[in-house]
Amino acid sequence: MVSRSQAVVAAAGVCALAGSFFSKGDFASSLIIWVAVNVLMTASFRFVLLIGELNFAMAGFVGIGAYAAGMATTMYKLPFALSLLLGAAAAGLISLVVGFVTLRAKGPYFLLISFAFTEVLRLIYTRMDVIGGNSGMIGIFPPAYLARFYPTLVVFITIVFLFVLYRLERSAFGKILVAIRNNDELVQTVGIDVHMTKVWCLGIASFVTGVCGALLAHANNVISPGDFSFLVAVYTLAYLKVGGESHILGAVLGAIVLTLLAQYALGFGAYEHIFYGAAIVIGVLVLPDGLYGLLQRMLPGLRRPASPGN
Amino acid sequence: MDIYVQLLVNSLQIGAVYVLFSLGLTLIFGVMRIVNFAHGEFFSLAALLIAVAVPWLVDFGAPLPLAYGLAFVGGLCGVMILGRILYEFAFRRFQRDMIGSFVLSVGLALLMQGLFIEIFTGASRKLPTLIDGTVRILGGALTTQRLVLCVIALLVAVAMYWAIASTRLGKALRAVSEDHEAAMLQGIPYRRIAMTGFLLGTLLAAVAGALLAPVVVIGPVIGSAYLIKGFIAVVIGGLGSIPGAIIGSILIAVIESVGGYYFDPSLATIAMFVIVMVVLLVRPAGIMGNG
Repeated sequence: MVSRSQAVVAAAGVCALAGSFFSKGDFASSLIIWVAVNVLMTASFRFVLLIGELNFAMAGFVGIGAYAAGMATTMYKLPFALSLLLGAAAAGLISLVVGFVTLRAKGPYFLLISFAFTEVLRLIYTRMDVIGGNSGMIGIFPPAYLARFYPTLVVFITIVFLFVLYRLERSAFGKILVAIRNNDELVQTVGIDVHMTKVWCLGIASFVTGVCGALLAHANNVISPGDFSFLVAVYTLAYLKVGGESHILGAVLGAIVLTLLAQYALGFGAYEHIFYGAAIVIGVLVLPDGLYGLLQRMLPGLRRPASPGN
Repeated sequence: MDIYVQLLVNSLQIGAVYVLFSLGLTLIFGVMRIVNFAHGEFFSLAALLIAVAVPWLVDFGAPLPLAYGLAFVGGLCGVMILGRILYEFAFRRFQRDMIGSFVLSVGLALLMQGLFIEIFTGASRKLPTLIDGTVRILGGALTTQRLVLCVIALLVAVAMYWAIASTRLGKALRAVSEDHEAAMLQGIPYRRIAMTGFLLGTLLAAVAGALLAPVVVIGPVIGSAYLIKGFIAVVIGGLGSIPGAIIGSILIAVIESVGGYYFDPSLATIAMFVIVMVVLLVRPAGIMGNG
């Protein structure tokens, strides 16, 4: 059953791929990569929100993915595909352990621990000389034969993982996640292991986040601890809030719109703060359902039972 | 022996400010179920206003103590006005919506921080010393100014503790944070109490910032470091719990001064995180939290 909206989404995906393939110039290709990676990060942030937790550790897992992939490429000279996988696996595995410990706490407690986790991880990077300490790591390049197609590859990987996350959300597993958000005790009484389900949810999201980190490291060529502060998660939150969290397309929409808009507002630290801060405040106060909610209201054809509504 | 006393004295003076800061956080969480990420910005604003006002007043010919006094009052008033505005137009609509209010406060914190950098510039400011001299307590040295700061902070904390434990308003605040619906059934005006709680919490952050203004170097992002530690303190103690906030703050202060002395500050921060993890493993809602 391919509905009209699904066809539109598929067409948009193909256009994005083609656009990234034919784009010229360094700035255009960097912009495409930023947008794509931000889209994927927002989608993975939203995946943990399905169980009702705000996962600020996400910024930390982006860092783990980036550093692991960076080490694999620069120190061990592993093939690109393998470093990508290593980055993702490192983030995923560490998140399983961290999640097993921290997901006993929920709500504000989980939020604050995940926030502390990100900040502590950043402190640890600065103290490890192997990975460049404060000044970071340099020379993380994708292989030469890929350089021309790198933006296209990033867009492709983003689309694949978006699809995977979407299917997971629609699957029985995804329904359990939303059920946990609505009433975790009820889910427990049916005999589902709530704790482990949450851990797996975080693990899957962090695997995807690790991919983002690895892609980002190879796009920027240089990474340093400052790139992975909790602000990464705050900006992601801004994308999600502006886009709308009821549907995965909201995450996509928000990340694209805000990343492109930010290019105008960019420049110096203060403006970036004001821009994202204002975006979040306006998003929360004026657009409670985000841009996706606005679209739904304007195009009734899009309306369908919103899955993880509050 | 001397070194232990000195470390204890250091812990006390850091802890005094943390106690004020985290009391405000925990109070706001208690009455409104809001994790207020913008709390640090109230702290920053008070310190920044004083840092601007004192040199300005001194230029006008005011003697230093008077300048400090006026700036102190002005700074607190400024923060309270901002707090009232933010409550009215933003936080009031997100009471008891944990995620919504948190997202809102993150946005506000970012926005305010950007505005502070714009308005007050990134420059660091250091104010002239208000009270000269040092005192020795049991062999530990402390500048008189910091001692006065500690004493005031502790007095404010004790007064707040007493007010919450014994006054009519305090009882209402505690009733609301325990069960706001039951409190309303008893005829406690929830909305008014929630606003009072929020403004009291804001005032505590402002007092902490104002007290630190004469002793530290002030920049537009000064609140962030206190925010992170304040949150760790209340999480250790249990969100919403007043004794928990005090215990957590003192614990954090001890780790910071002892760890900072024997190792270095970033290791001390890592140690705080490890302790948070351990505490939450044993008690998922903090030491004094229930649930």
